[in-house]
Amino acid sequence: MNESIPAITANNVVKHYGGSASPVVALKNISLEIRDNEFFTLLGPSGCGKTTLLRLIAGFEQVTDGKIMLFDDEIANLEPSQRPVNTVFQHYALFPHMTVAQNVAFGLERLKKPRSEIETTVNEVLTLVKMKHLADRSPNQLSGGQQQRVALARALAPSPKVLLLDEPLSALDLKLRQAMREELKQLQRETGITFVFVTHDQEEALSMSDRIAVMSEGEVQQIGRPTDIYEHPVNRFVADFIGDTNFLDGEIMSIDDDLVTCRVGTQSMFEAENSGGHKVGDQVSLFLRPEKITLSPQSETIGTDTRPGKVANIIYLGNQAAYTVDIGGGIELIAQARPREDGNLPFAIGDSLAVGFSARALRVLAQ
Amino acid sequence: MSNWLPRSAAGRRWLGLAPSYFVIGIFMLVPMVIMGVFSFLEPNPYGGVKPIGSLDAYVKLFFEYDLEDNLVFNPGYINIIFRSFQLSLGATLLCLIFGFPVAYFITLQPANRRNFYIYLVTIPFWTNLLIRTFAWIIILGRGGVIETPLLAMGIIEDSLRMMYTDGAIAIGLTYSYLPLMVLPIYASLEKLDFRLLEAASDLYANRFEVMTKVVIPLCKPGIIAGCLLVFIPCLGAFIAPNLLGGGKKLMLGSLVQFQFASARNWPFGAALSMLLLSAVVITLIFYARAAKKRAVLEGSA
Amino acid sequence: MTVHINKPATGNKAKRILPVGHYRGLGAWTVFFFIFLYLPIVVLIFYSFNANRMVMNWGGFGIDWYIKAFQNDDIQKAVWNSLIVATVATVFATAIATIGALVLARGGNFRGKTVSLGLITLPLMVPEIVTAVAVLIFFSAIGMNWGLGNVIIAHITFCIPFAFMPIRARLEGMDTSLEQAARDLYASEWETFRFVTAPLLMPGIVAGSMLSFVISMDDFIITLMVGGAGSTTLPVYIYSMIRRGLTPEINAVSTVLLFFSVAIVTAYWIVSNKSQTKTVH
Repeated sequence: MNESIPAITANNVVKHYGGSASPVVALKNISLEIRDNEFFTLLGPSGCGKTTLLRLIAGFEQVTDGKIMLFDDEIANLEPSQRPVNTVFQHYALFPHMTVAQNVAFGLERLKKPRSEIETTVNEVLTLVKMKHLADRSPNQLSGGQQQRVALARALAPSPKVLLLDEPLSALDLKLRQAMREELKQLQRETGITFVFVTHDQEEALSMSDRIAVMSEGEVQQIGRPTDIYEHPVNRFVADFIGDTNFLDGEIMSIDDDLVTCRVGTQSMFEAENSGGHKVGDQVSLFLRPEKITLSPQSETIGTDTRPGKVANIIYLGNQAAYTVDIGGGIELIAQARPREDGNLPFAIGDSLAVGFSARALRVLAQ
Repeated sequence: MSNWLPRSAAGRRWLGLAPSYFVIGIFMLVPMVIMGVFSFLEPNPYGGVKPIGSLDAYVKLFFEYDLEDNLVFNPGYINIIFRSFQLSLGATLLCLIFGFPVAYFITLQPANRRNFYIYLVTIPFWTNLLIRTFAWIIILGRGGVIETPLLAMGIIEDSLRMMYTDGAIAIGLTYSYLPLMVLPIYASLEKLDFRLLEAASDLYANRFEVMTKVVIPLCKPGIIAGCLLVFIPCLGAFIAPNLLGGGKKLMLGSLVQFQFASARNWPFGAALSMLLLSAVVITLIFYARAAKKRAVLEGSA
Repeated sequence: MTVHINKPATGNKAKRILPVGHYRGLGAWTVFFFIFLYLPIVVLIFYSFNANRMVMNWGGFGIDWYIKAFQNDDIQKAVWNSLIVATVATVFATAIATIGALVLARGGNFRGKTVSLGLITLPLMVPEIVTAVAVLIFFSAIGMNWGLGNVIIAHITFCIPFAFMPIRARLEGMDTSLEQAARDLYASEWETFRFVTAPLLMPGIVAGSMLSFVISMDDFIITLMVGGAGSTTLPVYIYSMIRRGLTPEINAVSTVLLFFSVAIVTAYWIVSNKSQTKTVH
């Protein structure tokens, strides 16, 4: 496929709702490119504009300003029915008056495909989503997971250039949701169709996407691969929204080639990786993922990267436990530890321990 | 209170329903049975019946006695019945064409405004039908609201003679029962999930197809209910044919009334009523069947 | 894979794309609809102020016909008859419908429920003319001739479903856990009804009685057939006036009756809308 032309290009897209007198701004100024064949995720809390952007691409809403291109074509003046883009709706929106097969055939019939081709395609797509045996059922007789598969099949049947998925997993229970993640990813690889996936669930985004756009308040905060987003968030919002994080607010005291030294609180000093662009005196947030912290008994303390701490609270999660550790100076950090082989937790509340993390794990974010 | 009420749940139930059963049973159900019986008796020329069994009332629907007392086919009454069905169907169709877009328009409005539109639709329905039909005489009649300005402007030279025509009756019937078409259609459209419309248009259905493939099939129960609610009273209508048809263009309803008020042929009137009643019952049975079939199809468990 | 971008035939960019499900001309159609619906009413009211003897010949503005109508003894008598019939019929129909609705909405599932529901709503299904004929024949068959009493009985019968429907709707929209809570808090069955069910049901009962009052006031064909010489109600009297000749007096009387109905229905609307918002929050 052509790598050079993006499947979807959004240029300075602005979307207002309501009258021009007191508009509600849904999208402030969105520009992004979604590459052909990629699994692209729009991630953000509810109300961040991710669904609006999806609806603009599908054609259910019209942009207030800006341009949306589908490959080489501007699609702003096209009805949804004229766009080679299909949607998997959040609550599936299956036609209750049609069977599963009729639902899947709907788009092909509107495209005036020959009868025989429709039949073949419907069979193929239903086989692909493992729903062929229920082809003659009514959607009302299906479970949530099955409806989900039909919705997927229905949107895939006309071979869209881009498949839009609007929080398709949100209505399923946890187990099913996890299983569907793998299937969706696999489906995307097999069909080679560009997926644009909208979710507020960071785990979904990280596990399936080739690239993620993190959105907040009608703006794109960061676009990147899952690892970029997780390890190198560009701002505090992204760091906070994705995964669990410790934030240490402080002031830059000195800067050398690789390290920045910050004072947090009154006396605690922390060294962090120098990501550039900072100057002495800046108010910054240091960001530290819990899994980058090692907890060890005090006696084993070695090296310069450790500080003494005391267990303040424990939240047991089964496969691990989240420890709140007081490291003095009014600073508490969240860290993780696995239960020992006998199932007991390694530390108890009140235990003194050594808290270790390297300067490379600490990153500086503007406040 | 609990001292004198029956103890058992069943006893209380029937006690609570007894007044309804009594009133509607005695004053509606029993009269309809008696009406059935009367249709098989001989008329008393001074009103009422003679207690002599006779099929004359039903024979009279198709035949009449000629001067030599032979039965000959008489299409007069059949024609009136046929016209009643025709006019009722026409009025139902007009109501549907006229009412459906309005019901749809109302569903598109914001929730707080919808109620007000429905209020506007229902108001004429609760006002006196006789009065509203009378108003149409002023509009359609000779020298009325439509003719006068046209005559004055010289667009027409003579009366349009709109009154006392089938067209006038059809307008009157449409006008009488229009709200009964809009309300059930609105009720079913209101429950329609608009995301289904988006799904259809996403799947390449154009605006026309969105309407014919999704909206109309999904609000079919409302459309059918509306058609029934209009068709049934049209069939038995008395006021519109009487005032706007001038009593010459008879429909079933006015023919029935005529038998009791002037012709004094009660058995024939009863027979016509039975005919009307069976038409209604047949229509309702079809409706119930269709509703049942639909429920099975959609697997609403 | 096939590409199916269908470009619009014209490159007219100014043409706004309507949201899905919206159609051009719906608004205009609706305006036309309401004109059709209200034109006759407006015309009727307008001509009631006609000073001329003939309805359709405009002879200047005047309220003479209102005065004339108010002074007409026959009209006064017809109004009284209408009010008596409607009041008595409403009281009985509402009472009967209320207990019927309580049983059908709160009595659980029992054999004969569907039949009972069908029976109560039967007067709605049967064409009015058939009801009229049946009741007329019935009264004559049993030789009952109570004048206005006959009319009242017929009215009670066909008013029951109109009173029943809003009451039942109200009961079904009501949260049964409220009644359970009352029982849980040591209220007897009677106390539960008296202090919980009945007050909550009141808007339904008011709405039901208003509807049956309007329906009774407006009924024409059944009263015409069943009623004798002395039991002329207002609609029947108006009918006889129309048959005698069209004078603005008909319009004047009609306008008054019209406003009366509209006032009651508006009150009903406010009551039921209020009770709706109450149940939601």
